[in-house]
Amino acid sequence: MTVVVLRIAALVYALSAAAYVLHFIRPRYQRAATAGQALLTVAFLVHAVSIGFGCSEFGGAEFFNLRGGLGMASWLAAGALLLLLRFQRLPALAAFVVPLVLVGLVPGIVGNIGSHHEAVPEVVRLPALKLHVSTAIAGVAVFAIAFGAALMYLLQEREVKGKRFGVLFTRLPSLQTLDQLTQRLVRVGLAVWSVALVTGMFVAEKAWGKPWDPQLLFAVVVWGLYSALVWMRQQGIHGRRYAVLTLVGFAIIMTSMLGLRAVPELSQHQGDFGRKEAMR
Amino acid sequence: MKRLYLVGLSHKTAPIAVRERFALTGETLKDALTALHRRDGVDEAMVLSTCNRVEVYARAESDGPVRRFFLDIEPEAGGHLYAKLHEDAARHLFRVAASLDSMVVGEQQILGQVKEAYGLASAAETAGSFLSRLCNRAFATAKRVRTETDIGRGATSVSQVAVELVEKIFGDLKGRAIALVGAGKMGALSAKALASLGANRVFVTNRSPERARALAEQVGGSPRPWEELTELLAETDVAIVSTGAPSYVITPELVKKVMKVRRHRSMCFIDLAVPRNVDPACGEQADVYAYDMDDLDRVVHASKSARAEAALRAEAIVEAELMAFAAEREARAALPVLHALRRQAEAIARAEAARTLQRVGGKLDDKGRQSVEAMAKAIVNKLLHLPTVRLKDAAQSGDPALPGLAAQLFGIEPEAAVEADPARPLPAPPPAAVAGATSLPENR
Repeated sequence: MTVVVLRIAALVYALSAAAYVLHFIRPRYQRAATAGQALLTVAFLVHAVSIGFGCSEFGGAEFFNLRGGLGMASWLAAGALLLLLRFQRLPALAAFVVPLVLVGLVPGIVGNIGSHHEAVPEVVRLPALKLHVSTAIAGVAVFAIAFGAALMYLLQEREVKGKRFGVLFTRLPSLQTLDQLTQRLVRVGLAVWSVALVTGMFVAEKAWGKPWDPQLLFAVVVWGLYSALVWMRQQGIHGRRYAVLTLVGFAIIMTSMLGLRAVPELSQHQGDFGRKEAMR
Repeated sequence: MKRLYLVGLSHKTAPIAVRERFALTGETLKDALTALHRRDGVDEAMVLSTCNRVEVYARAESDGPVRRFFLDIEPEAGGHLYAKLHEDAARHLFRVAASLDSMVVGEQQILGQVKEAYGLASAAETAGSFLSRLCNRAFATAKRVRTETDIGRGATSVSQVAVELVEKIFGDLKGRAIALVGAGKMGALSAKALASLGANRVFVTNRSPERARALAEQVGGSPRPWEELTELLAETDVAIVSTGAPSYVITPELVKKVMKVRRHRSMCFIDLAVPRNVDPACGEQADVYAYDMDDLDRVVHASKSARAEAALRAEAIVEAELMAFAAEREARAALPVLHALRRQAEAIARAEAARTLQRVGGKLDDKGRQSVEAMAKAIVNKLLHLPTVRLKDAAQSGDPALPGLAAQLFGIEPEAAVEADPARPLPAPPPAAVAGATSLPENR
């Protein structure tokens, strides 16, 4: 049931993305942006229903693996975007972020979410773990939107600096808007990420008896990078370098989430512990 | 026969010295309009008066009274006037409203001015049902042109391009500073345009302090000494450079120094001088954006040619709307044809019944006579039932062909149909696509 509802949500997200992209290509079609936002709201709600079904089916354990976690991050990103769109009319940003949300749903759609829900380990009941998982996911969601904004900044800068004044020039928001948006998102993301990092170390200590894990290394690197960005902003550094580093930070997150799983036995993080605990 | 006439003059036919003689506004315009309406043979009238054109649209017997409207104000104006009638006049109005006849093609104000002109005419009760339909069609045309083509897109002057560029870099200029370096005329224009984005400080600097002071007064800024250029630029977000210097005034070394002081906050140079005053190498530094006259001109040219291209598509829309307008008029002819047809058929029925009754009426009682009359009526009704339905449909759907064919087929007198429709002003055949369909009287 969860997967079926999730697929419906993905379909609506796809329609929303299509509407936003259409509006991006043809800004004359005002209604496309309106439709995009309406569809995004619907998709967000359907997605929420799917998450609800998931919780009752798997008892919340599904967020502890990659598929569920990414799906949750997508949901939060869509929510954050909707919130942002309430305050700022930025349909162009939605044209970049909604497709990203859709990508985050793909693993959940193709795979089986509850593949190892039989083994719900003891640690899952730790409140600190719940906090860790939710903040980590929220952090990824916020950084994902920052990624979209930074990407738009770089595209717009190429237009403005290269004196192209082409299609993107007219459709993308101003450099100032994008730069400020990226910076704010990075700040919010860093705050959330810090909580995830600390609770993560605490939970790892409890679960495995050691706080150390390759995942932690990546998380610390990401934290360091985004902290450096916040510090750089205090020094007045902004623009291109800021945008590039924002992209790099998100790339590291994605690598750590996907890459570490590609090498078996390397990391105990992300749901694997469930199976291992069961095997032991 | 009342027709639509247009007499007018515009930036294309008359110099400003003539145009300003006709600058009619407010009460004067209203009085002129009422006076025109009162002239012989003028049914409806509307005056469109902007700084680039004065045009009178009137449904009248001839263009004489309309011409006199102009000549009364300025007897010498005759050579600058153009006149159009019927469809050409309607096409002209559609093109004007869609901003295809404007000095800057695609500019936005003209539609509002046409709406105002119509509003005034209908307030003065000089515009009737015909002008109302014509104007509504013109507004619809203009709206279609604006939404379906890119005619209003892109900047068409250098200072407009500068504003667009700065907008894409800084969003708006609230809390930011503009510096005008040098005293070129283009610079002052652009500075004024940029100040409209909300910049709260405008600085002016020049080698001669007197000129700096004079220019500062002109653009509403404050003068700064030339020797403190570096410090000034450090405070400035957008610098418009147009000095008469034959070489680079802004060098990469200077910009490097400035950027260090301003902690690499973005900065934009707009170089309006020829020869250039800003070394193009400046723009290669991070967060520095530098544009010269060529860059801005390129944008102006690009958007002008884009507008010209859009204008081609807009002309097609105008033609389509013109056809639709003609078709609408033709369709309105469907009802008169229907009435004429019924009248004619009923007359025949009555005549035939009377003839029959004359011959055999003596052998019939009252009931029998009534039956004969009723039968004649019934035959007519049965025969005309389907044609009536079809003609009513045609009137509703705006199909112009059927009424004409019906008139031809049943041999209805054209005048009867035309006269029956007082709102039928333009007997001229509509454009090519529907020409075949307009077999109504005046075509034959």
